[in-house]
Amino acid sequence: MPQLFSNKRLILLLLGVILLVALISYSLRDRGNVSPPEQVIKDAVGVGQSIFSGPAHFVTGIFDNVDSLLNTYEENQHLKARLEEFASVQAEVKDLRTENAELKEIVGKEEDLRDYNPIQATVIARNPDQWEEKVIINKGSSTGVKENMAVMTASGLIGKVVLTTPFFSTVELISTQNPNYRVSAMVLGGEKEVFGLIEGYDAERRELLLKRVDAEIELEKGQQVVSSGLGGIFPKGILIGEITEVTIDEFGLTNLAYIKPAAEFSLLNHVIIADRVAPEVNGEDNGETEDAAETEEDGS
Amino acid sequence: MIRFWIPLIGLALFFMEPIFGLFSPLQLDGGFYYIVPRFLIMFLIFIAVYYDLKHAIYYGLFFGLLYDVFFIDIIGLYSFLYPAICLAAGYIVKSIHRHLVVTTVLTLVLTALFEFILYQFFRFISLVSMPLDVFLNTRLLPTMIANSLFLLMLGWVFKLVIDARLIEREKNPRLS
Repeated sequence: MPQLFSNKRLILLLLGVILLVALISYSLRDRGNVSPPEQVIKDAVGVGQSIFSGPAHFVTGIFDNVDSLLNTYEENQHLKARLEEFASVQAEVKDLRTENAELKEIVGKEEDLRDYNPIQATVIARNPDQWEEKVIINKGSSTGVKENMAVMTASGLIGKVVLTTPFFSTVELISTQNPNYRVSAMVLGGEKEVFGLIEGYDAERRELLLKRVDAEIELEKGQQVVSSGLGGIFPKGILIGEITEVTIDEFGLTNLAYIKPAAEFSLLNHVIIADRVAPEVNGEDNGETEDAAETEEDGS
Repeated sequence: MIRFWIPLIGLALFFMEPIFGLFSPLQLDGGFYYIVPRFLIMFLIFIAVYYDLKHAIYYGLFFGLLYDVFFIDIIGLYSFLYPAICLAAGYIVKSIHRHLVVTTVLTLVLTALFEFILYQFFRFISLVSMPLDVFLNTRLLPTMIANSLFLLMLGWVFKLVIDARLIEREKNPRLS
């Protein structure tokens, strides 16, 4: 039997492993920016990927259409039932909108956390190995996409931008296991708005966790949760989901609520990136700015 | 012309993987099943078995690097594992018969191994906290079923293309 590894090969193998570990640990660090060669590769692969994803979306679009055609009758019944309700709600919304605009004019308030410039984008790929919940979209820093911006579909928040290259960006979905992924949120439907943080995702229940809500506040099933805009990056009022269960967290001090996300995470196609009009802060959407963190460190 | 087919098929499979990834997770009876397309590594194993180990390793390195940079931002993971799996295939095939059925089984076993190593890696860097039984039921099993379907449908095409390339190379050794 021939010797599997000669001495020379063994040394090469060892060197390879060392290089590998170095590379992995380099890239595992939380990197804000990607290096220029990586950007070039990302953009080049992205172009090829868009060529393939176009026809794929076309085909899935056809299946979607057939699917919705089959449900037309039921849907129509349902919609008819809602139609009358809708007309009155619409009139009310119109009325409230004009009133809101007038009141804002009176107090001279121009900026609103709710305002954002939507950037339309198409999902061209999903990380195929699905260990990290990431998708790639076809808009990058050249169209004004920046890191940490909120990404949503028509039905609700799906994630945030984590990396940008000139023409493409990577979006980390809200269903990630990443412990550093936080979104400041608020619960609607009570007497007052209740603030908390979306922190973590229960993979088994496939629901988000809303933490850091005062234990004295009563939360109810079915209440809607939206982004609060107080984190400094996301605009206010993007729908996140609906409360399905309320419990007490592991320390018994605050409420913990399970939230069923409003958006579907599979078969993503068109997404909207929210570029907030109000000034943004650096860092994550959890109210902690990088500057604040630095001063904290200095102070301690 | 056949000499360009192998890299072109590799490229096409590379770009098709993330598109099939968009369909996952699949919802059946209230349970969610992850299907991870592993077309490229299966093709690379076929190259290692029928064509040439060296070529398989180079392709593995190239596509692994693209994969690392574009999708997972951990450089060195796939660009190490792709060639390593090809190397393993190359060593194993020396002692077995290169029949299509045998190769298909070998490919599936190595793909499952590949998936398992990745699972261990991501657990090691604590990116995932999925218990082993959940991994086996909701990820490995559906993934292997889907990929074996793919391989049963297209394995003979891979072999056909590689055989055609081998014949061409014999006729024209300068082009290799």
